[in-house]
Amino acid sequence: MKKFILNLRLFWEGALLSYIALFHWLRPAQYLATMIWGPLASMLFFVFLGTYATGSDSASFYVIGNALQTIALSGIFGVTMSIGGDRWSGTLPYLFGAPANRFMMFTGRALMHLLNGVLGAIIGLTWGVLLFGLDLGRANPLALTLIILVATFSTSGMGLLMGCLSLITRNVMFVNNTVFFLLLVFSGANIELSRMPAWGQAISQVLPLTRSIASARRVIAGGSLSSVVPLLLVEFMIGMSYLLAGYLLFRWFEFQAKRRDTLEAM
Amino acid sequence: MNLKTLRDYGRVIFYAAEMALRSNLTDSFVLFGILVQPIIIALLAFWMLGDRGGEYIIFVVIGSGMTGLWTSCLFISGNSITQERWTGTLELMVSTPTPVSVIVIGKILSNVLQSLASMVLSYTLAIVIFGYVPTINQPVLFTISLLLTILSYACFGLLISPVFVLNPDVQRLQNGLEFPVYVLCGFMFPIALLPGWTTPLSYILSPYWAARALHATSSQWNGLGEVALSWAAMVALSLIYLMLSSLLFKRLLRRARLDATLNIQ
Repeated sequence: MKKFILNLRLFWEGALLSYIALFHWLRPAQYLATMIWGPLASMLFFVFLGTYATGSDSASFYVIGNALQTIALSGIFGVTMSIGGDRWSGTLPYLFGAPANRFMMFTGRALMHLLNGVLGAIIGLTWGVLLFGLDLGRANPLALTLIILVATFSTSGMGLLMGCLSLITRNVMFVNNTVFFLLLVFSGANIELSRMPAWGQAISQVLPLTRSIASARRVIAGGSLSSVVPLLLVEFMIGMSYLLAGYLLFRWFEFQAKRRDTLEAM
Repeated sequence: MNLKTLRDYGRVIFYAAEMALRSNLTDSFVLFGILVQPIIIALLAFWMLGDRGGEYIIFVVIGSGMTGLWTSCLFISGNSITQERWTGTLELMVSTPTPVSVIVIGKILSNVLQSLASMVLSYTLAIVIFGYVPTINQPVLFTISLLLTILSYACFGLLISPVFVLNPDVQRLQNGLEFPVYVLCGFMFPIALLPGWTTPLSYILSPYWAARALHATSSQWNGLGEVALSWAAMVALSLIYLMLSSLLFKRLLRRARLDATLNIQ
């Protein structure tokens, strides 16, 4: 029991402190620019591009897709930087030298970004309602909440995997940016999956967000929770797979870094 | 200013451009902004606008290239002075006999020229993936428009780089400035889709006129009058940017010499 409480504390404190450390350099204006203004501008771009391509009736398709895509900002960039930050600030050797539970330490890095992701999606949908008349009247609130939670979990799983890369490469922002933009294309946020070639559809099936975006569109159109549960289960499993792959890599990198004495190599 | 000084400045511009190019080629963030992001946006737009027919392929090529140019202008040219601050060389640069603005011109010209690679890559993507060879309606006028685009982006870069150094609060908003310009400048769709009150904002941005001239000469030809208007607007705005930039550089140097706060982040 004592060990359990200790691990829980480690999880919570790791989550809180890594988040504070990540944003310690931010001022409110920068936080707002990154979390509210940036996603809004991106949404405006893709909604206008989409409606230019397919007509103004399809605005909700792009609004929902891009509101959910906002989650990836926290899930991928936030989580990755929380893990990579230990390397840049020179605290990685202390972290790996501690006898703490690695799984708690690793997954704790994602917690605050899960909450941030939920907030981002809510803000995105609110922009959709205010600016593009998105109708949430027929949406089941419980189903929509569940979809957002599953989406934040799956993108954070991918973020944890990307975060591990930040332990071995200096170019993690290149990888992160590329993954984020690939999600914009292949998650179905901006294109019907059926319009993509077979190889594009195959990529979309192994990405987070693909199924949660499809589920959100279905639920907002009046679909029931039960109609999207199978999609959400698969999305959850995809997130779990990324998380476990990330954890295994984390342990492997720790082992390699200790063996080769490259913990602080840049 | 005599001929020798001009020649010396030309040499500084050339070497500053060369150094910027070499440095950028090893910077993964720069490579992402110039090469990867425009290609992904082009791919997305090709699929989204595919039903509108072949003529839109060149529209997408130009538009996605313009996004690459702006991203590069904002993050690379915009940081061309800040970068020196990060590496601790800003004080040295300010204290050289060559004006700082001349060095920055070299860096920014290099950035703008290498950003044109994004347009070339989008063009190649259209051929390789979509099997369509985009054609340009008015090649000569397009070339002139492209040259003026390079000039106007360089002037815009010269304006924002001292702004970012003098006002770190503005630089903190940098991430949020990328997409609004994509929207306001009509890179990928006409600004007629936007609310009317945004139109004056588009008009004061030279990338809007650059996009308008390039789209008009490549695929949406509406006569020489529209292109000439875009050229005139680009030149006029570039001159205004240069004048403002000159004032900002003076302020930057004054601050460097009087306040000694250049290296304060």
